Amino acid sequence: MTYTFKIRDQIYKITLEKEDGQLQAEIEGRSIPVDFEKIEDDLYSVLIDGKSVSMGVFRKGKKVQVFIEGELYELEAVSEREQRKTSHIVSGIQEIKSPMPSRVVKILRGEGDEVAPDEGLIVVEAMKMESELKSPIAGKVKNVMVKEGDAVESGTVLLVVSSE
Amino acid sequence: MFKKVLIANRGEIAVRIIRACRDMGISTVAVYSDADRRSLHVALADEACHIGGSAPTESYLNKEKIIDAAIKSGAEAIHPGFGFLSENESFADMCEKSGIVFIGPTPEAIRLMGDKITARKIAHDVKVPLVPGSDGAVSDVEASVVAAEIGYPVMIKASAGGGGKGMRLVRGKDDFESSLRMARSEARSAFGDDSVFVERFIERSRHIEIQLIADSEGNTLYLFERECSIQRRHQKVIEEAPSSAISSRTRKKMGEVAVRIAKAVKYKGAGTIEFIMDQDQNFYFLEMNTRVQVEHPVTEMITGFDIVKWMIRIAAGEKLPFKQKNIVMKGHALECRVYAENPETNFLPSPGVIEYLRTPSGPGIRNDSSIYNGCEITPYYDPMLSKLIVWADSREAAIRKMESALREYIVLGVKTNIGFLIRVMNNDEFRKGKIDTGFIERHPELLKPPVLQIEPALIAAALSMSSPESAGQPAQKPASNWKLFGRRSGLSRSPLA
Repeated sequence: MTYTFKIRDQIYKITLEKEDGQLQAEIEGRSIPVDFEKIEDDLYSVLIDGKSVSMGVFRKGKKVQVFIEGELYELEAVSEREQRKTSHIVSGIQEIKSPMPSRVVKILRGEGDEVAPDEGLIVVEAMKMESELKSPIAGKVKNVMVKEGDAVESGTVLLVVSSE
Repeated sequence: MFKKVLIANRGEIAVRIIRACRDMGISTVAVYSDADRRSLHVALADEACHIGGSAPTESYLNKEKIIDAAIKSGAEAIHPGFGFLSENESFADMCEKSGIVFIGPTPEAIRLMGDKITARKIAHDVKVPLVPGSDGAVSDVEASVVAAEIGYPVMIKASAGGGGKGMRLVRGKDDFESSLRMARSEARSAFGDDSVFVERFIERSRHIEIQLIADSEGNTLYLFERECSIQRRHQKVIEEAPSSAISSRTRKKMGEVAVRIAKAVKYKGAGTIEFIMDQDQNFYFLEMNTRVQVEHPVTEMITGFDIVKWMIRIAAGEKLPFKQKNIVMKGHALECRVYAENPETNFLPSPGVIEYLRTPSGPGIRNDSSIYNGCEITPYYDPMLSKLIVWADSREAAIRKMESALREYIVLGVKTNIGFLIRVMNNDEFRKGKIDTGFIERHPELLKPPVLQIEPALIAAALSMSSPESAGQPAQKPASNWKLFGRRSGLSRSPLA
């Protein structure tokens, strides 16, 4: 069975097959022997070519979280059609979203302002801490969707920046 | 000794205090907000009392509600933990007036040390060295004059500050105005007071603090130092005891200076004097924290002295049976604060549900936490998940043990700084003890994993696709309107009602 995953905007393919009772994983043309035990619902013990790796694994639909040695990997199973869609470059219209439920402290750039990559756009506060959200691209602020003092949910679009 | 103590806090420190009480045969009363009904401190306490909404101002900062809960439950004393009301003079005063013992110093000592400017004056009076700076709170104009006088780089600090809030480093004149504005705005929202002072910034400084314990008869002992130089956003991330940077002579000198400050305010209970130290072991008084510290366990590990229990005993009137010469330290202890945050996005908090949790164990490993499988890390409170503490016979061995303990940790559902902490443990400068408060800023490469373990992640993900979806934890049902109505009208099922 072949699966396609997106990790950090990169696409990877993996094939899992059983040959003569031995599980084999094929990644980018390499074949790796794998032995797998589920210790608990979300705890896997995997021997990858004899190397023992304990991993936390949590799957909800197409989204999988894997925790290995201090690092959380977020993967998403993607179909062929979605693969083509994700290969766009960082330009065009970018929405600046609130990363978490927070409060808008200060809007640093208004509608029509020219911005450079990494230039601060807006300051939000959550968990007693202020953070500045930056522009991912060079362009112009197209829309400011919030005002100072607003309480916003995670994922709320705060500003729209356009490179055109 | 008290028969019943109310813990006016939440999270791991509430759990820590409840456990100390249990060891001492004291029954416990927890208080909780709307967001915390399912929290561990509620489950572990003997009694629990709902005190209000999720926002701290509606619950953990609501003095009247907490005193009320203490009176109704018959608790004789209140332990405030850290944060919230722990350094609130008027709360300590209200406790006293309601006939409840506040487990901590007198309201007067809190007041004197709580105001950073008064504290500096007291330290100066007992001949404790201070960092050059403005003589008290300053106006915008005065601030820039003082900054120019003492020379850049300078630090702007909130008078009512703590935990790095309302604090800004300014490297040059051009950034001064905007930094001052930011510091004031942060101070206003965090403490309701926007007065600030200005100080010289000491390059490559180390943060060293002395743990004190004093009884009501004035017997004041120092339990050596902790080094807390590994900080992000001026908040401590990794702490250790002892410090690898000070000689036993400096240690003794620092301890004696700290005792002097405590005696000047007739200090009682556990407290900490924070110092900033330069590369030549010159140290300057920063502030006193008039409460138990987050990082108190490292001191407990090297001295065998239970700070929380002694706070309770002292509040109950017991005298310290030790002399300074009886306090000895052994080995080395490290603490890592495990946060729900993402080091790759400038340590942005990552609230969410803990979908799976596995914590390290083994000899010399202590994990002070209040999280469990399925618990929710809400955006209302500090995103600290746990304090992982290790003890070993040397610093080198403690670092190795910490690294291996961190590798055993598994957290799913929220982002954590565990990978980052592992990389710090492996960093050459850290291992050699060449650390200062600018360490994290100087090592941005530690924020990201150098090698992504894509292969095992892919294999695990593919394996998970062929097995049933993770069950997840039962979703937390919103409290029904009946329940909310009941709470509002004081008809809660709590045994205190």
